[in-house]
Amino acid sequence: MPDSLKLNRRSVLKGLAGATLALPVLEAMGSEVSQQVPRRFCALYTANGMSLPKEEHGIDDWHWFPEEVGSEFQFNKSTEPLSPFRQQLSFLGGLHHPNGTKADPHTCSDMWLTGAPLHNPKPGTYNTVALDQLIALHTKQYCRQPSLVLSIDAGTGFLSRTGTISYSLDGKPVPAENSPRRIFDRLFRGDTSSLEQERETLRKRIKLVDAVLENARRLNKELGKSDREKMDQYLTSLNEVESRLIASEKWIDIPIKQQDYSHLNLDATSDGEPADYYRTMFDLIALAFDADITRSVAFMLNREDGMGISDTFPIKLGLSSTHHYLSHAGDKEGQLNFAKYDRFLSEQIAHFFHRLNEYQDVNGSVLDNSIVLFGSGASTTHNPRNLPTLLAGGANMGVKHGTHWRKDDTRLSNLYLSILHAMGIEVDSFSDSTGTFDQSVFA
Amino acid sequence: MFTSNEKLIRFFVVMILTLPAVSSGEEPTSKPAAIDASLNQEFSEQIRPLLTKHCADCHNEELMTSGIRVDHLTGELPDKQLRLWMGIRKQIESDAMPPEEEAPLSPEEKETLIGWIDRAEIAVRSRERDKNGSVRRLTVAQYRNSLRDLLGVEDDFTDILPPDAVSKDGFLNNAESMLLSPVLLEAYFEIAEKMLDAGIVDEATPPAIQNFRMDLGQGINPEPCPDDLILGANSHLLKNPDFMVTQLTPEKSFPFEPRFMTTQYRFIEGYQGNDTVRGWREYDSIYHAVFACMRGAEGYPKGNAYQSVPQGLLLRPAIPSTEIFQVGSTYGPKANFKMSLRELPENGDFRVKVTAAKYNDGLLLERRVAEKGNDAPGAIVITKPEETQAITIPEAGIYQIDIHPTPEENKNQKPCDLVIGDRFFSNKWEQPAFIVVRLAEGEIPIRATLHGIPLERMQITRLSDSEEAAQEFVRFEKRDPILGVYLGLRRDCGSTLAQVEKPVSVSSTELQTFEFRGAIRNYPRPEVEKNNVNYLAGIKEIGVRSEYTDGRDRPQLLLRSVEFEGPYYEAWPPVTHQQIFILSEHKDEPATYAREIISNFANRAYRRPATEDEIESTLQIWKAAYSETGDFNGAIKQSLLVVLTSPQFLFLIENSTTPAAEPLGEFELASKLSYFLWNSAPDAQTQHLAATHQLRQQLDQEIDRMIADSRFEDFLHPFASQWLSLDKLDVVETDREMYPRLTRDVKAQLRAEPAALLKHLFRENLPVANLVRSDLVVANEVTADYYGLDTPLESGFDFEPVPHHQSHLGGVISQASVLAGLSNGKESNPIKRGAWLARKIVAEPPDDPPPNVPALDEDLTQLTLRERLELHRNQKGCVQCHTGIDPWGFPFEEYDAGGLFKRKQEVDSKSDLPDGTHVAGMLEFKDYLAEERQDQVAFSFLKHLMTYAVGRTLTYNEIEFIRQHALELKPQGYPMKKMLHFVVQSPIFLEK
Repeated sequence: MPDSLKLNRRSVLKGLAGATLALPVLEAMGSEVSQQVPRRFCALYTANGMSLPKEEHGIDDWHWFPEEVGSEFQFNKSTEPLSPFRQQLSFLGGLHHPNGTKADPHTCSDMWLTGAPLHNPKPGTYNTVALDQLIALHTKQYCRQPSLVLSIDAGTGFLSRTGTISYSLDGKPVPAENSPRRIFDRLFRGDTSSLEQERETLRKRIKLVDAVLENARRLNKELGKSDREKMDQYLTSLNEVESRLIASEKWIDIPIKQQDYSHLNLDATSDGEPADYYRTMFDLIALAFDADITRSVAFMLNREDGMGISDTFPIKLGLSSTHHYLSHAGDKEGQLNFAKYDRFLSEQIAHFFHRLNEYQDVNGSVLDNSIVLFGSGASTTHNPRNLPTLLAGGANMGVKHGTHWRKDDTRLSNLYLSILHAMGIEVDSFSDSTGTFDQSVFA
Repeated sequence: MFTSNEKLIRFFVVMILTLPAVSSGEEPTSKPAAIDASLNQEFSEQIRPLLTKHCADCHNEELMTSGIRVDHLTGELPDKQLRLWMGIRKQIESDAMPPEEEAPLSPEEKETLIGWIDRAEIAVRSRERDKNGSVRRLTVAQYRNSLRDLLGVEDDFTDILPPDAVSKDGFLNNAESMLLSPVLLEAYFEIAEKMLDAGIVDEATPPAIQNFRMDLGQGINPEPCPDDLILGANSHLLKNPDFMVTQLTPEKSFPFEPRFMTTQYRFIEGYQGNDTVRGWREYDSIYHAVFACMRGAEGYPKGNAYQSVPQGLLLRPAIPSTEIFQVGSTYGPKANFKMSLRELPENGDFRVKVTAAKYNDGLLLERRVAEKGNDAPGAIVITKPEETQAITIPEAGIYQIDIHPTPEENKNQKPCDLVIGDRFFSNKWEQPAFIVVRLAEGEIPIRATLHGIPLERMQITRLSDSEEAAQEFVRFEKRDPILGVYLGLRRDCGSTLAQVEKPVSVSSTELQTFEFRGAIRNYPRPEVEKNNVNYLAGIKEIGVRSEYTDGRDRPQLLLRSVEFEGPYYEAWPPVTHQQIFILSEHKDEPATYAREIISNFANRAYRRPATEDEIESTLQIWKAAYSETGDFNGAIKQSLLVVLTSPQFLFLIENSTTPAAEPLGEFELASKLSYFLWNSAPDAQTQHLAATHQLRQQLDQEIDRMIADSRFEDFLHPFASQWLSLDKLDVVETDREMYPRLTRDVKAQLRAEPAALLKHLFRENLPVANLVRSDLVVANEVTADYYGLDTPLESGFDFEPVPHHQSHLGGVISQASVLAGLSNGKESNPIKRGAWLARKIVAEPPDDPPPNVPALDEDLTQLTLRERLELHRNQKGCVQCHTGIDPWGFPFEEYDAGGLFKRKQEVDSKSDLPDGTHVAGMLEFKDYLAEERQDQVAFSFLKHLMTYAVGRTLTYNEIEFIRQHALELKPQGYPMKKMLHFVVQSPIFLEK
């Protein structure tokens, strides 16, 4: 767009001074502020692996991975609830993190989204950036919240078996939220005093950026024939920073999309019925996606090594033991119980997909404009290879579905790199990636 | 040093054959030049007809086959056509064009075309360019150092910055490759804000200071914690009575609040052994807030890894772990003491005070040492040694003590304890000859026990000075334990402990106190929320070690106490605050005082006097904020934030007003020099010289001062690392089973070796040949042990020059950090090493590999490496580059993937070098480089040094300038310090 046609962002803001600004107006302010259809990412993690029962028990129909590879696969019992979404999902087999094979297997959830060498960290660091946070870095300019980090237990947990799968740009664990009511209040019922405070901070920052811009322009004029290119880069970047700040400030005045909250059970807690809890959390993520409150979500459904409240969920569901204990089971009964818990999880995720399909963007369902990654950091107990991985959604983002794809020793980081590209984030590599993922899945 | 008309020198046809591939990317634009008329004429007469005949049918304006056209090329040789010419040359030379179905060029036509293009290239590259100054962003490291020096804040907040890109020359400070992005600018704002928050305090609020001490010693705690403490897998807790924690109130010259640690906790996730247990439990004791533990694999090869004695805690050297999961520990080295604790300050400086001594230790004997006969002269024999007995030592000296159990018992490997006076010695019993100790004259109580096994006798025998065990003991007792302090966090996998300052030698047997300081933010910490419900979450660690270097016995470290204080302030408000809020007579006139503060700060930040305009506009920020809030300090913070995010601070600017070369201004020179040699802003002295227009005059003295200063390390490490591509060592996955000695700790020391060598060569002004061949290596105890030097050092971790007496050592090209990095972790790789040598040491870089090179498809497993390379070289498309790479790499075949000489293996390391010289192996290769190719080695070094110094890719003329003028240094053998002066004193550096 030629510059002359662009609105002066500041003057628009000043002119409206707090009045409601409709979203489409933003689009006239340059592509950096608004993107037509949101592209979203959601990572869902379950700990302790998934059910891959021993052959001798004769319960192969409970195997988490389908037996057949390719598009003719059949859902087994532990994933059957997902079968309605067959054309919107793929099973990915044979994935792993090379660093996973070197580290203490209990730390597999810490590296699931990062691929970091936890056995030999870079001095002074704990982890490296997680996929969801890298995505958030690029999508935050389009929405109200950079990312939503959720977990069955609040906070970060204990490093080595963290209660979060999300790590910041400098590799620090991002504390997770776990209370549906608090999440709802924060995302959908922002209280005005904190909004005012936020606005104040943003305004201050905008003033500063203005001052720096002025300083820089003056310098630029004084520079004789010095290399102007660097200064131009600087000024362009600074302009961009300012537009982002202005966009953020604007969000405060833009009302949240009108949505139906009547189905929400905000009294659900992690201490109550597991299904109620997971469904409410998924309902919240779906609402947040639909209202474009955030475009990056990470949700840890279970924690490794018997940590946290979710370890008791199988017992609450009438199964024979705790989640961690069942994951270690070698007997038929134990393995069957573990598989049944997987089926329970599949039911919850099917509920999530159903919600995402109900909500519509201009060009299709929210699920078709969102990539959902569901997986674990171990296949069976402490085995960091062939990580169970389900990829769903994103049909409008170039993801092709309906298969059971399998190739041994494929790097999970390559999948992540392709997810980044599908999100429109053009980076050359992620973590230890060696290239992009198979083109039969990512067009 | 140079005459003014030398810039006019042109370089002609002599250079054609050895023409190096210079400068990447686009050439800067030049004036429409008066190009060599003969080239133009030849173009019209010979070249254009050839292009029309062979190329233009496909490569014309309409068809543009492969996106290429040649019909617009002219004999005037505009700069922008050079790349196309180079592409044409490559296609023609490799016979890729014309394509097979078309008529080929005749040999004469080919020669004509290539010859003309080569001369044309020189003509274009050597054109006189406009000099229009430069604008170069600070690198991440320069930005960090500048902020630290400017604000005096040690906390490093720059870890959110994306790393700088590596330029084609290998450097991080290349102006062209340093991009700016909104993400980067947002980070600058964030970092500047945090740095100012850290440096500026509220003077009126006294700081809260945490201070406590842990005392160590057997039974030292009269009121030990009654609970069984728990700290998860692989933690070995000291016994509760053997440590004591006291919360202290430090003595300070200013008011403060002591910050006492919380002792009451409630957790739902806990541990029983290695199992997780769930259920709320209440805790109430300082000993659930601070623990004394040992970490690391069990077992120690000789003696106990640690032992509580009444005087303190004895520590043996922390043996690095193999860090292979399920093979060795990933929990850090053996004998690794740490205080685990729940609370430390979030930010600011801290101080750890360690009170420790060198233990009056004995040398535990190994199997090879024989017991003394009971007929030895003067032997003291004690029966019933389990009972404490007083014996009389007739004269002071070195004694061997043998412990004889009753013969029939199974006593092997049982713990044996010996007490002499107040000294304690323990080892697993393997043989009667137990220990050598120094004893004073006179009466002393003595006792020995062996795990309840009855002892027959103990014998104490004086050793003569000539006996081997006595001599070994003398060497042993001269050695000092080395004390290292660490900070980190507790986790189950991979140690996070990071070293605080440098380790120190503890040479006195009397207790002494040692201080270690750092900024708490620069160490790994558990970022968990308050009120985390897991017992082990958020545990921080302060580690104290006796450092391991080379495995030789050294006396144990006696650790008496460890004290922590933080945030550590020497004054209030702290210096960081006082540097901003300077003393002034106008403190009660806000506007005047604000102007003084801003002007003082901007002068330092911009590395030159700020202009009136700059100060005025910054003051406006202050005014606006101050009138709104009335908060003086807060408004100052806002205005300084503008200074720290302005291009004047973030960029190194050389402002030029004409297209002609102009001398750098004095302040520009000060910055350029300082960022070159210290990687940070100029200090007060350099600035003063610039302000008084003396810097140019005193440049040589100033260079020497900077080389002699400790900040010169900030040149040595980045330069060595980037020039020699040492980052390859960081990423290579060394096969730990093949190279078990190349541990993380050893790698860290080897990584520092090239910079240490450069430091020695610069400071001693030694000839450049030392880079490729030298009788000395610069080593410390760790690297000396790794290389197997025959003269063991006693320098701890300090590098010092030492003769190596091994012909395969010496020079950067024999350093393990280089060679191990240029491998695949398992095998040596002559191609990587050859390409490295060609680029870095002789500056004859190979071209980039062409795209889509097919892999060799034959089954090559039967062939030797050399045969495989031979095959590779003969492949069309490979031959051209590989004949310039592989021969440089063959001599390196004498070194394995751990960077060490292959002692046990016959290797074929002969090579026919690109210029036809034959070398039989590394020895001859080094002679060749140090003698025949000395000029080229010096040139390569200068070229890299110059590129780093000016922060951009050099132009053709600049490179030729170096090639020509470097010869002035030849008579002295290119002394290293002189070369550095050469770089700074050259017009390439001094003009803009």
